[in-house]
Amino acid sequence: MKAFELVEPATIDDAIALLDAGDPGVRAVAGGSALVPMMKARLFQPTRLVSLRRIGGALRGIHAGDGGLRIGALATLTELEHSTRVRDAAPVMSRALRTLSNVRIRNVATLGGHLAHGDPHMDLPPILLTLGARVRVAGRGGERWIDINDLFLGYYQTAVAAGELITEVHVSAQPHDARTWYEKFTALSADDWPTVGAAVWYRTAGDRIGEARVAVSAATERPVRIAAAEQILTGAAPSAETFGAAADAAAAAVDPLADIRGSAAYKREMVRVHVRRALEKAR
Amino acid sequence: MTHQRTLSFTLNGRPVTATARTHETILEVLQRDFGLFGARESCGQGLCGCCTLLVNGTAVSGCLYLAAFADGAELVTVEGLARGGTQHPIQCAFVEKSGFQCGFCTPGMILMTKELLGRHPRPTDEQIRHYLSGNLCRCATYPDIIESVRRAAELV
Ligand SMILES: Cc1cc2nc3c(=O)[nH]c(=O)nc-3n(C[C@H](O)[C@H](O)[C@H](O)COP(=O)(O)OP(=O)(O)OC[C@H]3O[C@@H](n4cnc5c(N)ncnc54)[C@H](O)[C@@H]3O)c2cc1C
Ligand code: FES
Ligand code: FES
Repeated sequence: MKAFELVEPATIDDAIALLDAGDPGVRAVAGGSALVPMMKARLFQPTRLVSLRRIGGALRGIHAGDGGLRIGALATLTELEHSTRVRDAAPVMSRALRTLSNVRIRNVATLGGHLAHGDPHMDLPPILLTLGARVRVAGRGGERWIDINDLFLGYYQTAVAAGELITEVHVSAQPHDARTWYEKFTALSADDWPTVGAAVWYRTAGDRIGEARVAVSAATERPVRIAAAEQILTGAAPSAETFGAAADAAAAAVDPLADIRGSAAYKREMVRVHVRRALEKAR
Repeated sequence: MTHQRTLSFTLNGRPVTATARTHETILEVLQRDFGLFGARESCGQGLCGCCTLLVNGTAVSGCLYLAAFADGAELVTVEGLARGGTQHPIQCAFVEKSGFQCGFCTPGMILMTKELLGRHPRPTDEQIRHYLSGNLCRCATYPDIIESVRRAAELV
């Protein structure tokens, strides 16, 4: 790594002023668990890092209310893993956190960094796409909310602009009858990054599926909702045939990237298998 | 200078200061300025746990932890566990059950065990595996390590 300027502002406003420098070498750093490996590999050589660790208050905490969960951007993945509020409101998140990386990384990694990085292999984005979420962003021009469906633009690209900070993540309140599941498929070691992440969410109305959401990540260049699969599920009986047809639609819809975890053709098949399994396991 | 920092932190119970450049990891500072090699770099990517140290009581990968972030923190390395020449009960358990061969991974295994027992004083095997799944042992002494952690839970 090369030397750079490190600043540790105490307020969000000061952080934004320091970030807004019109220089791609200027970035925020939270846990550093995604950024430091990139710096070590010289994929990113900062001129200035703006550390968020001295900013308290608004960026911390996990709150539950009628509207759902409000999670500060600096909440660590360990805090989320052990939070009873998260377990009650979104058990699918708690389960996924157990196999997300390892204890040491979860101890430092933050939800804000997890989402801002735009890495398609992250485990929580597909889950949040199915649960429904909004991300609160602060910049020089003030604040705005980004719907999770509009956050992930491409490979390591998000709608968070340079000079903006994620301050909070709001996970929608879940209807009591929503069924959810996240199926993480690892092709290398058991707790590797996912080769395919498949998240599903559906509700039944009578003996039919009323509303359905399906999201796939890791195999694709960004986490994506699969409209074709959702259409097949909506209004159909929650049967093996329906789930198989939805999984086929997901496999046909994705555009997988080949890498060390598998070829594009292999990943397409794994999308088929794991979307089907996620639908079968949803509870 | 913002490229270099004077850091004050507690190291194994002792208040210390060190000067570090912004791009240095805490591992580099512990080895260069304090001669502590218990936390050692192996994968350098957060995967193996050989570089584990405790910062404010929680385990982190020293290979990814910027030294500047240690300012104001309490750091514990494996060297800080023994008390007046007496080994920590977790260390005793690893010796008793031979939870190592070459010993390269052992400091990380011991510190992860400390974090585990802090949260789960009577851990199940499942909890032991969950906490240690991010610590790799090239000698593959895993069964003995799990045996050591079980014993440590009795001794602590
Ligand atoms: C060994 C290893 C294994 C891993 N395995 C997995 C896995 O299996 N599954 C998985 O999902 N993830 C995995 N991860 C990735 C991990 O989830 C991320 O590294 C982590 O979530 C990033 O959070 P951070 O706070 O450390 O981010 P940082 O590294 O601090 O920052 C990441 C990016 O986000 C930006 N940023 C940070 N905070 C904010 C903010 N509040 N507003 C705007 N921008 C911000 C930074 O500028 C940077 O570009 C793994 C990581 C490691 C090192
Ligand atoms: S050297 Fe840090 S985790 Fe492997
Ligand atoms: S004892 Fe040799 S690496 Fe674990």
